[in-house]
Amino acid sequence: MFFDLVSRNSKRSRKENGLFFASLLAAIVAFYIILSLSHQDVMLFLKEMESDAVNRLMTMIPLFYAMTLFLLFFLVYFACKFQLQRRSHEFGVYLMMGMRRSKLFLLLLAEDLKSNVTALLIGLPIAIFLSEIISLVTARLVGLGIIGHRISVSCNAILLTVIGFLAIKLAAFLILSGKIVRQEIGSLLTPAPEGTKKQLPSAIYTLSVLVGIAFLAIAYAMAIKGLSWQDVSNMALTFLLGFSGTLLLFFGLRSAMGIFAGRAGKKQRLHTFTFRQLQEYVIHRSNALAISSLLILAALCCFGCGVAIAKFYGASEPHAIDYTFSEWEDPKEVQAKLETGKLSSLFSNIFEMKVGYIRRSEDYDSAYSMDRVMSALEHLPDSEDKTVLLDNLGYADYPYLISLSGYNQLLSIADLPQIVLSDDEAAVYMDTDFTTPSRISILNQILATRPEVTIAGEPHDLTGTVQTTNLVVDRSITLSFALIVPDEVFDSLTTGDYSTYLNAVFAPEETSHKSLLTCFLDTNEKLDALGLSYESYLQNMGRQLFYVVAASYITIYLAIIFLIIANTIIGVQFLTQQQKTARRYQTLIRLGASYESLCCSANQQISWYFGIPTIIAALSSIFGTRALFTGFLSSRTQVDIPSMMVISAAMILLLCVVEWIYMTAVKRSSSHFLLSLMAPKREE
Amino acid sequence: MENKILEIESLRKYYGKPENQTKALDGISFQVMSGEFLGIMGSSGSGKSTLLNCIATVITPTSGKILMQGTEIQALKGSKLANYRGQMIGYLFQNFELLDNLPGRENITIPLSLHGISQKECQKRLEQLSSYFEITDVLDKFPSQMSGGQKQRVAAARSLILNPKIVLADEPTGALDSRNAKMLMKKLSGLNQEQNTTILMVTHDCNAASYCKRILFIQDGVLFHELRRNVPEESQQQFYERILKVMAQLGGGSANVL
Repeated sequence: MFFDLVSRNSKRSRKENGLFFASLLAAIVAFYIILSLSHQDVMLFLKEMESDAVNRLMTMIPLFYAMTLFLLFFLVYFACKFQLQRRSHEFGVYLMMGMRRSKLFLLLLAEDLKSNVTALLIGLPIAIFLSEIISLVTARLVGLGIIGHRISVSCNAILLTVIGFLAIKLAAFLILSGKIVRQEIGSLLTPAPEGTKKQLPSAIYTLSVLVGIAFLAIAYAMAIKGLSWQDVSNMALTFLLGFSGTLLLFFGLRSAMGIFAGRAGKKQRLHTFTFRQLQEYVIHRSNALAISSLLILAALCCFGCGVAIAKFYGASEPHAIDYTFSEWEDPKEVQAKLETGKLSSLFSNIFEMKVGYIRRSEDYDSAYSMDRVMSALEHLPDSEDKTVLLDNLGYADYPYLISLSGYNQLLSIADLPQIVLSDDEAAVYMDTDFTTPSRISILNQILATRPEVTIAGEPHDLTGTVQTTNLVVDRSITLSFALIVPDEVFDSLTTGDYSTYLNAVFAPEETSHKSLLTCFLDTNEKLDALGLSYESYLQNMGRQLFYVVAASYITIYLAIIFLIIANTIIGVQFLTQQQKTARRYQTLIRLGASYESLCCSANQQISWYFGIPTIIAALSSIFGTRALFTGFLSSRTQVDIPSMMVISAAMILLLCVVEWIYMTAVKRSSSHFLLSLMAPKREE
Repeated sequence: MENKILEIESLRKYYGKPENQTKALDGISFQVMSGEFLGIMGSSGSGKSTLLNCIATVITPTSGKILMQGTEIQALKGSKLANYRGQMIGYLFQNFELLDNLPGRENITIPLSLHGISQKECQKRLEQLSSYFEITDVLDKFPSQMSGGQKQRVAAARSLILNPKIVLADEPTGALDSRNAKMLMKKLSGLNQEQNTTILMVTHDCNAASYCKRILFIQDGVLFHELRRNVPEESQQQFYERILKVMAQLGGGSANVL
């Protein structure tokens, strides 16, 4: 009998509160995915490449896990509280019928346990399945199709998910059921009505809205200008302003709702009722709404920022060369070693890339000058690009030289047109890390006029367009400004004192029958056996992947957690409030309200109830993402903020779609509830 | 000849399975004429609330007919049913059933917004009703700020705002003290006399019933007795005493001596 009751009650709770149950499932999935991160294909691959960085990321995972547990505890606590409060009359009846309090406690515990086990039984398989899918998709998306998939179920992650989930559920349960079980039967049977809130003069609410907006504006201005990131106290002030601004804004919002209700667009049926309901929700739950809005904002910022950062680091530069042997090795020796190891057949092309300083001039300060370029720049209309270029090129008075033959080899491998230079001509090389497409086009315009420069006292003409193809595999070796000169000029200017990097490219037949990853891993093994020191493209790929994966995984994970919490709070709150005010809907039915008009009113309430925090969050997130860029991206990456903002805006749009899906789910469950009210009931 | 507003023909409402059936209504027939103030009395469990709920379409009868101005209401569906509930009948509840998050004015006008009628059209009626029921000064207050009597008078104004053909009142004085109950009944009977409003009221309060013109007594689901007030020669006090006698028979009488 007892177990019958347990099983029926827990089934009923799941049915009545499907949204909360779905959120619990989502929480389980999120737990497992973050905990099993180390088992993902991409991470397994990265561990071999960038073990230090990966290990650092992995040590942060428990921190994220603990934070999520903490946040989800509140969600579980509040959702369970609403649920138990709704059933308090039922508990009162159990006690009246002579159920002992300990038995009631056991009943609730057993019910809770049963739904937990059900949630885990449904959630874990979904989590494992999803994690595999994510593993495959990310491998395909970022791994350039080079990673072979291995199915891996992390027992550790399952165990920790189960423990974490049960722990927060149990903690919330103990606190809540303790409170319920200790209550008097009388107060359980007839719960005290919610007190009516005191109405303040409307000027106060308007003032609160204005002060709230002002606070928010100050907070965002501080964050975007970079003031907040200077020290902890500024950051704390920004947070405080942002938080209290949002609370004030929501507190004042009730006046707006009152105006809406009073204005009554009489065309819509039940317009007044709809807005009075909303006004009541906003009045009673303005803080919960504000916090939900902040959570959505956090989710939007995380998501927008994460994707933008991932995209920035993930933007793959053209991949031309596969290996670069160290400058310390003698190129001839390396070639000989490759021959003896029968490795030269692996590569279709091995060529030297020579890079060196101007050695002929005694005076290093006047080794190079490009006054014409600078004056051409100065004559351009004022712009940020102009200032940056003037500043950067001002320091380029002792540039590197690159020999033309090596660079042309590189260009031919990259399928780019080769450069032709006469002895008194030079081409400009700049690494893409130090410039932007718009700045390159400015320079190209100047180069088209063939400006004259002096290299070691001799006049040369700059020609062609700015070259940007990477000289070597290693992306930590970059040149901000260099000149490409013909080989003889290079030899004469450097006086034979230069570094030679030996670049190598895989033979097409090597890569055709096996994946690029295996090619690299096999070749690395052979090269290691020969004792050669080298850099391979694999490391770059690893480094890029790591940034992409770390940024996107963590931020998307956090975004999902925040979204789940915010939406569940809003949704569960709305539905419980609707069930609490069921009497009003019944009265309306008796007054002749049709099912359609009730649903229409309820749907409008839901749209507004979700819409207010979401819209405010979406508006704020535009500034929020911008502020995060200021804080997190180094000055070098800030160059591309406008295009990143576009990505963020797209992400925000995507998340609004998620909100819409949540709203639709809540609307469906509200319509279902209203339909149950429509059935005539005999009242005593 | 007076107009028939409502006709009830051999109405039955049975609960439960045939072997163990409760006959809440067992073949009741009567008519309500336009401008009547009809009371329905009976002890608790006699079926009077079931009858009212059947007329209000809150429950479906097992058999029999309910005709509202010649239209059979069981056949109504969807928007017609909603219109019937809103515009043909006005329902006055025992517990007022005001929406506690709406001020008085909006509570009264909620039927307008339910049926897509603009407030301007009914502004005059709202003013008339609120001054008649003496609730003008509570129109902008929320139900929690009103007294019980004010709440019920607001509810009465709400039930009348759309000029229904008949007002169904379910123990309207049940939750009121005697002073407020008296005031409400005076107002209702005034409406009946001055504006010819048809009212069907279920009650077991003899005091309230004495305001009616005719009273039907129900016992165990069947009509048991009918009283008519002889207007104008019979005073309300005399009518009240006649009601008491019937009630004594209903509650006491030979049937009650077990």
